[in-house]
Amino acid sequence: MSVSRRVTLGWIAAASSTTALLGCDSQAPKSPKVGRWEDVALEPLTAPGYGQDPNLVDPMVPWPLTLSPSQRETLRIAADLMLPADAHSPSAGTLHLDAFIDEWISAPYPVMQADRPLIVSGLAWLDAESDHRFGKNFAQASDAQRREVFDSVAFKDKVKPDFVRPAEFFVRLRALMLGGFYSLPEGMKDIGYMGNTPSTGEYPGPTPEALAHLNAALVKLNLKPV
Amino acid sequence: MLQQAPSAAFEPDVVVVGSGAGGGMAAYVLTRAGIKTLVLEAGRDYDPVAENSMLKWNHEAPLRAGSTPDKHFGYYDATANGGWTVPGEPYTVAEGSKFRWWRSRMLGGRTNHWGRHSPRFGPYDFKPYSRDGLGMDWPMSYDEVAPWYDRTEKLVGVIGANNGLENHPGSSPGVLLPAPKPRITELMIKAAANDLGIPCIPSHYAVLSRDIDDPHVPRQACFNASPCGRGCAIGAAFQTTTSLLPMAKATGNLRIVTNATVTRVLTGADGKATGVEYFDKAGKVQVARVRVVVMAASACDTAKILLNSRQGGLANSSGQVGKNLLDTTGTNVRGHIPALESRPRYNEDGLDVAHLYIPWWLYKEQAAGKLDFPRGYHYEIGGRFGAPGASLPLGGMEDGYGASLKEDARRYYGAQLSYTVRGEMIPNAGSFCELDPDVKDKYGMPVLRFHWKWTEHEIRQIAHGIKTAKEMIARLGGTVLTPDRPPEEAIEDGGVIIHELGTTRMGEKASNSVTDTFGKAWDVGNLVIVDGSVFTSNAHKNPTLTIMALAMRSTAHLVERMKKGEI
Repeated sequence: MSVSRRVTLGWIAAASSTTALLGCDSQAPKSPKVGRWEDVALEPLTAPGYGQDPNLVDPMVPWPLTLSPSQRETLRIAADLMLPADAHSPSAGTLHLDAFIDEWISAPYPVMQADRPLIVSGLAWLDAESDHRFGKNFAQASDAQRREVFDSVAFKDKVKPDFVRPAEFFVRLRALMLGGFYSLPEGMKDIGYMGNTPSTGEYPGPTPEALAHLNAALVKLNLKPV
Repeated sequence: MLQQAPSAAFEPDVVVVGSGAGGGMAAYVLTRAGIKTLVLEAGRDYDPVAENSMLKWNHEAPLRAGSTPDKHFGYYDATANGGWTVPGEPYTVAEGSKFRWWRSRMLGGRTNHWGRHSPRFGPYDFKPYSRDGLGMDWPMSYDEVAPWYDRTEKLVGVIGANNGLENHPGSSPGVLLPAPKPRITELMIKAAANDLGIPCIPSHYAVLSRDIDDPHVPRQACFNASPCGRGCAIGAAFQTTTSLLPMAKATGNLRIVTNATVTRVLTGADGKATGVEYFDKAGKVQVARVRVVVMAASACDTAKILLNSRQGGLANSSGQVGKNLLDTTGTNVRGHIPALESRPRYNEDGLDVAHLYIPWWLYKEQAAGKLDFPRGYHYEIGGRFGAPGASLPLGGMEDGYGASLKEDARRYYGAQLSYTVRGEMIPNAGSFCELDPDVKDKYGMPVLRFHWKWTEHEIRQIAHGIKTAKEMIARLGGTVLTPDRPPEEAIEDGGVIIHELGTTRMGEKASNSVTDTFGKAWDVGNLVIVDGSVFTSNAHKNPTLTIMALAMRSTAHLVERMKKGEI
């Protein structure tokens, strides 16, 4: 568990907020349905951002989170499937990536608000696609069934026409989860980020092992070793 | 906290408008010469130690510390109440132009977060017109400025090494601090560049690799961690709030007032400056009466204040105030290098800044007419095991999900290189700022309206920079990740590189320039300009070091004139 206290407090404070999901009754224009994908219409968020002079020493998330408990559960399951536990690090779901995605799409900034309908519609698509194939939603489906749904959108150059929008959702979700996961201490340890650690004296530079690897690569490229 | 309570006993001789690179240096030189100096800073007070976010983790900040319209360079960036927009202080852009204006409203200004890249201009850079017939020559030679570069580098603290290359002058012995060891990615870039006949050498940055002792303001060598853009509480990465301003304060001759937005320079019947008008924190109009006004509000704000000071603009008999607006050209080319995949891990933070860079190298070809653009550029090179944040750069090589995705992350992390082009722009008649006839800021002053145009000189230069970067990536067996775009689209918009310069250029004659070689306004003898607005040209070499060296030179000259009783 590597979520800072202030961020967590922000999440707790936001837990009572209601979702802005409007579904089919909305006045907003909808794109035609393709496959099981449907663009979900959402009311714009009105919460303020953190402003142009936020406290850098004690940061906190000021905006309320907007996903429902069931959307969060779908995200958590998707996170575990996206980045499962292995010998190097725990799964993304156990590291609360669902909460990070909620924080992200609930932020009142243009980039995040462009992501919000894609992610919310994508979560609905996971359920719709799963229901279409197996007669149950994504959370109720088996691990193998969920993989089947993922497999139709997860691989480059293998996405069929009906799955183009769901694949856009998947690629964006994956990018957000990669950033969210590997910026946590468990993720940094896994990927081998060793910085942000002060030391005295001169910067030691690359290790002998790193230099040996470089020189082998340079020789292969017919370049002069260092 | 550097601000002191106002005191009736303090009667300044000089007011310095702005506390960034130029203003900080002017305050330092003036106060050490025993001259009572008032610094007016439009932004808030800033404590670089108490407010510092060094060593905080990206995951502790909202959105993993990523960019938002509130904090364009990320949550921890040491920019307060600024960025591409400043509340209550809009600007406009003329139809058909693209320009963005970065400002910071805090003590120390943009020096708290700047890139710290500090190359010197060379002999050619001060005489560009003589060399290729374009733009205008500076009213001094490199040799006249060289001693001021030495003094500035010694004071500021600059890492690097002399290289002996054409138009990349060295520093005097003992001036530069030792350069740090290059990273693997930089060594790889160097190997390919050298193979193609392109130099790749230790870069010069205003970051300490050794402690600098000062009785009042000791500064510590870099502790090899934390991005410089967050500001540096230990004084390693140079900013005026940990160096020039506290050093000036230690003399007892400095008074700083923050939240003081200067709107006009006031003049008497004889045309001399009598002081400045400013809005204080409470929004009340105040006047500071002084013998000398030193402008260091940044290129565009200085032009704005002068243009607003009187009908037709103060110090503007040449009509050049606001004209000749310059930025640096910029674009970026990234590549994925298979040979860097899964490479052995080590701490690659170093001094945060790039330890090596590629300086402009084709002066001879340019002089011989072999290139289709007249002025040079350099590459700021990058690629490292960087701190993961809101996104994890894997070069788009990742695919699928599950266990294999985690393997992809480990394989492709740290396997991308980046070549950032920074090139010289030549002044042109289509790039300038003027007062907007309709829009006013929260102080009731007309705001700036920007006009912007790149010419074929910049476009062709960018095309060359992109082509050459691709050749270097190809030499490493890599694939180019940056989408193919024509240079007209690949070049960043005006202002985006945040090197605004030239709006009150210095020159040989009062008829075509605003100041003389010492930043003294031709029209107003007790008005001296020490920020980037005095630049006659903008070599591709990042301007802040030169702003400081010229501010030191101009202020030393001002001190002489004051001591002689000339003003």
